[in-house]
Parts: sequence; C-alpha cells; structure tokens
Amino acid sequence: MRKTNWLLLGLALVLSMFLVACSGGGDNNADGGEGEGNTEEKNEGNEGSEGSEGEPSGEQVLNITDSAEIPTMDPSMATDAVAFQWLGSTMDGLYRLGENAEMEPAIAESHEQSEDALTWTFKLREDATWTNGDPVTAHDFVYAWQRAVNPETGSEYGPYMMNGVIKNAEAISNGEMAVEELGVTAEDDYTLKVELEKPIPYFLSLTAFGTFLPLNQDFVEEQGDKFALEAENILSNGPFKMTEWKHEESWKLVKNEDYWDAENVNLEEINVSVVKETSTRVNLYDSGEIDAAGLSGEFVQQKAGSEELKTEEEPVLFYLKMNQQHEVLGNVNARKAIQSVINREDLVNVILANGSLPAVGDIPQNFAKHPESGEDFRDINGELVETNVEKAQEHWATAMEELGKDSVELELLGGDSEVAKEMDAYLKNQLEQLEGLTVKVKPVPFKERLRLDTEMEYDLQNSGWGPDYIDPNTFLNMWVTDGGNNKTGYSSEEYDALIEKANNELALEPVKRFETFLEAEKMLIEEDAVLAPLYQRASAKLWKPYVKGVITNPMGPDYTYKYAYIDGKE
Amino acid sequence: MARYITKRLIYMLLTLIIIATFSFFLMKMLPGTPLTMEDKLSETQKEIILEKYGLNDPVPIQYLKYMGGLAVGDLGISFQFDNREVTDIIMDRIGPSMQLGAQALIIGTIIGMLLGLVAAIYHNGFLDYSSTFVAVIGKSIPSFIFAGLLQYFIALKLGWFPVALWGSWQHTVLPTVALAMFPIAIAARFMRTEMLEVLGSDFIQTARAKGVNKFGVVFKHGVRNALIPLVTVMGPLAVGLMTGTLVIEKIFAVPGIGEQFVTSITTNDFPIIMGTTLFFSFFFIFIILVIDLLYGIIDPRIRLAEGEK
Repeated sequence: MRKTNWLLLGLALVLSMFLVACSGGGDNNADGGEGEGNTEEKNEGNEGSEGSEGEPSGEQVLNITDSAEIPTMDPSMATDAVAFQWLGSTMDGLYRLGENAEMEPAIAESHEQSEDALTWTFKLREDATWTNGDPVTAHDFVYAWQRAVNPETGSEYGPYMMNGVIKNAEAISNGEMAVEELGVTAEDDYTLKVELEKPIPYFLSLTAFGTFLPLNQDFVEEQGDKFALEAENILSNGPFKMTEWKHEESWKLVKNEDYWDAENVNLEEINVSVVKETSTRVNLYDSGEIDAAGLSGEFVQQKAGSEELKTEEEPVLFYLKMNQQHEVLGNVNARKAIQSVINREDLVNVILANGSLPAVGDIPQNFAKHPESGEDFRDINGELVETNVEKAQEHWATAMEELGKDSVELELLGGDSEVAKEMDAYLKNQLEQLEGLTVKVKPVPFKERLRLDTEMEYDLQNSGWGPDYIDPNTFLNMWVTDGGNNKTGYSSEEYDALIEKANNELALEPVKRFETFLEAEKMLIEEDAVLAPLYQRASAKLWKPYVKGVITNPMGPDYTYKYAYIDGKE
Repeated sequence: MARYITKRLIYMLLTLIIIATFSFFLMKMLPGTPLTMEDKLSETQKEIILEKYGLNDPVPIQYLKYMGGLAVGDLGISFQFDNREVTDIIMDRIGPSMQLGAQALIIGTIIGMLLGLVAAIYHNGFLDYSSTFVAVIGKSIPSFIFAGLLQYFIALKLGWFPVALWGSWQHTVLPTVALAMFPIAIAARFMRTEMLEVLGSDFIQTARAKGVNKFGVVFKHGVRNALIPLVTVMGPLAVGLMTGTLVIEKIFAVPGIGEQFVTSITTNDFPIIMGTTLFFSFFFIFIILVIDLLYGIIDPRIRLAEGEK
C-alpha cells in the first residue's frame, strides 16, 4: 500500500466520523428534564393478590436492566435519570420520596419552618451511619451543598437547583462570594439550619433530590479525583450499597445492613445490567433472566393485553413552541388555529402508541394537587385546547385577513430519531389542513435544536419539559418575559405578574397560590395560545408478577426499591 | 528492513498528527457544548462551567493544549463520565470488542477459506453451489437481522446459549457467530475466485504435469498465491471487527467500544471523541503496516518493494 493511500484512509476515517456526527442525534430528543414516572401507578398488588399486600417469600433478588452506564455516582455531578436512580437507591437525603410522591422523613426526623418561611430547621436522626461507620451529621449536608454550588466543582445541577433558593447560592456559584456564606449551617451535629432566598413552598420536595444528598467530607477529600469512580470509592448511607460496578456492563447493589431503616428493606440484592436494545430486553425478560423490561413502539403493541404490561405515565410534557417573532406566529389567531387543528388523540394512539396521553394544558396530569381538596390541577382546569378543524380554519382565516396574506410557509424544527420523523410528518400533515399553510420540516440533532432555540432561529418546534420539583411553578415559571427557557418571544405583563404573585406574596398561602397558577395556565394556553400542547409522555414496561412494592416517582429517581420485595417466584 | 520500518513508523506518526488536527477542528464545529443541561442552565452558569473546563479559550489554544497533552500521552478526562480518564474508558471497553472481533475474524476466515477452497476444487459441482450460497447469504443478510434470529431461536427458544449480556465464554458464542458471517462470506468469495485463477495458471499445470498430486498443488502453490488479495481485504475488515460494532454490541448487550464513539459525539464529549478517533486511526494504520509486512512474507516478489529503493 502506498503512502498517499494512508493519508486518504486517514481522511476517510475523519470524514466518516464527521458523517456520524451529523446523523447522530440519539433518542433523548426534547426531553427537557429527568423526572419520570408517576405518582399513582404502583407495581404491587397484581390481580389475584388483591386485598392482601403479600409477604416477601423466597430469594429476595431483583434482576433488572438500565438503559445506559451510570455517568457518575457523585451527587454534585449527577444530571441524568440513570445517575439519580442509583444515587437514590444507595443514599438517603433529609427526606425521601415515598408512596404517592409523599415526602417521608429519612435522615431528617422532623423539620420546622420559621414564620416568614425563610428559615427551615431540620432535626436529624442520630442512628444513621455511613457504610464506614461514621455517623451521618448535619455537617455532611453543609459540606455537600457547599460543594454543589462551588464553581470549582463544575456542577450543573448545583447552581440550577440552589440558585434563588438557598441564600447566597447565586453569588457563590458566580464566584462572587465565599462558599462558607451559603445559607446552610450545622447548629450542632444533628440540627441543620437552612436559610432561603425567599419562601419556597416546594422546598421539602427538593430535599429528596439527588443534588441535596449529604457527603462525608473526610471520605470525599481522601478519595480526591477517584471519588465515586468505582464501587470502592463510594460511601453510602441508604437502603442499598454498591458492591460491584463493571463499567458499561453491570453493577450490583446489596442490602445495607447498617441502614437505619434496614428492617423495612426486603431485597437482599439488586443486579443491574446495561441493555440498550429493546428487543434484547424483551428476550431476556421472556427467558426469565430479568424481572422487568422497558418497552417502546412496536413491542408495546406486541405485548398489548399482557397482564405484565404496565403503563407508567410521566409528568413530562411535549408541545409545539411557536416563535412569536415570526410575523404570522405573532398573531394570536394564527396560534389558536395551530392549537386546534392538531388531532392529539391520533397522535398518541397511532404515532406513539405507548400509553402517552393527549396534552391539553401546560401542566401534566397527576402532577400537582389542590392543597385542600386534593383535586388534580388538570381536572380543575380541564381541556384548554380542543381539536376542531372548522374553528381552526376560522381562526386561521381571521389571522390571514389581519395580516393581509393568503399563503404562508413555516419551518418546523424536528428531531432526527425514528419516532420524531414520523411525528414531524404527522404534524406537517395536520398543520397543512390550514388554508394556504405550507410546513417545511427541518430535522436536526438535539444539540442543534437547542442552539436554534437559544438563538430563536425557528418558526415552530416540537419541544418538551420535565419537572425539577413537584410544583406547577416548574412548568409555568419558564414562560415569563425573557425567561431563560421561554424563547418564544412571549411577553405578557399580566402573566408575569401572576407568576410573580404566586412566588412572592402568596408563597405562604397554598390555596390562593394554587389558584393563581390555574389562572396563569389558562392565560398561557387559552387566551394567549403561547404553546400548542401535544402529549404527555408515558412509558410501557413489563414487570414480572412476583415483583412487588416498587414505587414509581414523578421526579428524582424513577423507582424506589427500598420497599420492593419478591413474592411467589417459581 | 529496520530502515523501512522506521520510515513507516515516522509516516504513521505524521498521519496520526494530521488526523488529530482534522478531527479536532471538525469536532469543534459540532453544535452545542458537553453540558448535559444546556437547555436549563443560565448563560452565566454555562460560561462559568465552560471556563472551568477550558472550553472558553479560542479554538487554536485549545488545540495546542490538547496536542501538548497528547505528546505526553494524556488523552484527558471525559465529560459524560465525570472525572473518568479517557484512556481508562477506552481500555475498559476495547477488551470485549477485541475479543469478539478476533474470534469472529479467526473463525470467519478459516471457515470462509475452507468453503472457498472446497468450492474451487469442486468447481461447478454441488459443493461449489452450496458454499457460494452460504457466502451470498452471509454477505446479504444484515448482521442485525442475523443476530436477532440467533438470539431468538438459538438462545430464547432452544436455550443453548445465553440470550445476551457478558461474562462467560458462552456469552461470546452468539455474537461471534453473528459477527463471523461477514468474514466467512468475504473469505469464501475471494478464496474461490483466486483459487480458480491460480489453479488454471501455467505453473500449476506444470506442477501437475510433473506429477505433484492434486492436494499438494492446491496447498503448496494455490493457497499461498490466493492469500495476497485475501490479506488485502481482511486487514481493514479486522480493524472494523475489532474496534467494535454498534449493532451486534447493542443486540447482545456487550460492553464494547462500538457505541462509545457515537454517544460521545451526540453528547459532545470532546475528549472521548478525540480519544476513540485516534485509537481507531492508530489501530488502522498499524494493521496496514502489518499487512504490508505480511505481503513480503507471503510473496517474496513484493518484499519491501518501496522501502529499498
């Protein structure tokens, strides 16, 4: 082979890399957040065992898969569902998510709020220990939270979750103040005082979140760069501890006998293998090697009717974002036309076919409940958009008249995954029912879509959002004028005022605050038609009937295995 | 010989530097940053984090820093797998890929060569058609379909081997078979064509006329001549097989390197993109060198043709 040929080969290699880069997009499209699961769906009490809860029997070993390698076991650095899942299983924060997304005391025994709701004092239990025998103290929380906002750490979630919440977090994370100034102090070993920037009604739900987990300072500093890289560089204080971690292949969790609540932990072992392909998961599940298998697309239909198939609706919402800087989309009638021309039923039943629900507002179902009546946010506000092609045509005609146009071309930013392609084709077809509208689909990789979103270089885009805490604010707050993730050009003084009111004046009045959010959602979707809601994501999963007591969470870790047990495995 | 190899090694180094340079600048043209929460963080926060990782420097400065690190063998630290060394990640993942690739290559080449040999010897007979049939099937059925069929029938229905995952030698059987189909097909076709040509040539006729028996001719003269083109195609194929295959590794849940490259691009994990590109390139160039040396051993006529001038 000649020298020149190597150069060519080298170039070809580089070129092929570039081509891969262009076509790679992954299927993580439009998934804004990490929150998954749902509050209602519980995987216990299958048919036949109704009434009785069942008892653990036989070998208490759970064999499951995850879709990817754990990117990190360092709570400050964790950003994705996989990391939060396994941190959540091996560690306890102040509180942890229990059944129906209720907050259960974990390391904290109780808490008190000051009258102005700016200071929270947590009383910690004295019997919690790390797996090396050290007690879990208030200092561990102080250290971990300071570490999360320290710019030296390079954490993404630290500043994101704490800025504007914990006193001085913003200044510290911007490098303008010393980390010691963070509003969290250990009054004594078992009393933790947290000072907030402003009243945060949902603060308790944050304390269960991965970023707020404690860290043992001595251990972390002793490990240095190696911290959390391997199973032996991890220190746990939760229901399970990791004893084996083969990167990209599998990891093993065993019951932590020193856990303060060990008597309520039934599983002795959780074995997790990395399996990325759905068909492989299904085959492993059918062969009995694993006890649960997440499904997608065709496999959901194939397994439809199976008693082992469970649909888990997630509080993740997808919608069409409309750029109001565009002449046509700046017109509210045009936006209303787009809202009501899309048939969401067909979208979820035919295109997605995985149990996803049509979205009819900006807050998903089973996410936020009225503080007094317990009624669901979605049920109270009802369907804020409807599919009505005639009405859509009327709105569209009005808009065209107001703008003095008879034909319009809009660009739809789409994803590059298989589902996204079908979805975008469907949306194009639906939208083009409007007289004189042509839609051009432009599929781009996820990162490129984010860039175009930030620069507001789009007309329409299929976008999504998952919650960061359990409160309507996580969905509604982003649409205020110049909100970091607004990027639609929507700016309404009235809307801003509502959100402002809910987060300040009404912070201590849950009912009025909730009602303000109801009002804000109506304004956002019904009056101002900022978004065209599309669907609320769900996922389908097979669970062996002998796996019981697994709790599905709306945020943080997808599942809680603390109370899971095996009953009736042959 | 030593001079030739030294010269080749210097060229290899130059090639790698050129590849590193190209890859680096192309990579910097990817949209986005390695941040996972790009859509949620504020601009200030993004700036602070990018600053920490030196991603705010002008691209040429970043390039020089990277090449500086490379010179002392430092491939950097991954973004997606927080704090993990790129070298460790590549070393962790390359094992299973190499093992599967090597097994598939060896088994595939041997079976393929035998098939091709049999086909050539029994030209136009039943065995010829059967082995051609196998070769055509191996070449035309996409590996993911074949892998899926193997998994469903052999593992799930018959239970002879594990469905997927990694751990024992039994786990390697089905992915190896699935991977071996392609080398079998390639080796069989080349072997058959070359053998037919060689067997028809004058020097073989002469040998036969002088009384060398049929199999002696085939093995002593035929196979050796047919190997040249085979080595040419098998070299790059070996690289392809041993650096991991996205599809087979995904289907059999093998913790190999095949997918790492693709995911590192979608997550903008710059150090891994560079690390894997350079590793693959090095492997590729190295194999080419090995092939060139092999030519000389197989056929003295082309020994060191270039180098000695």
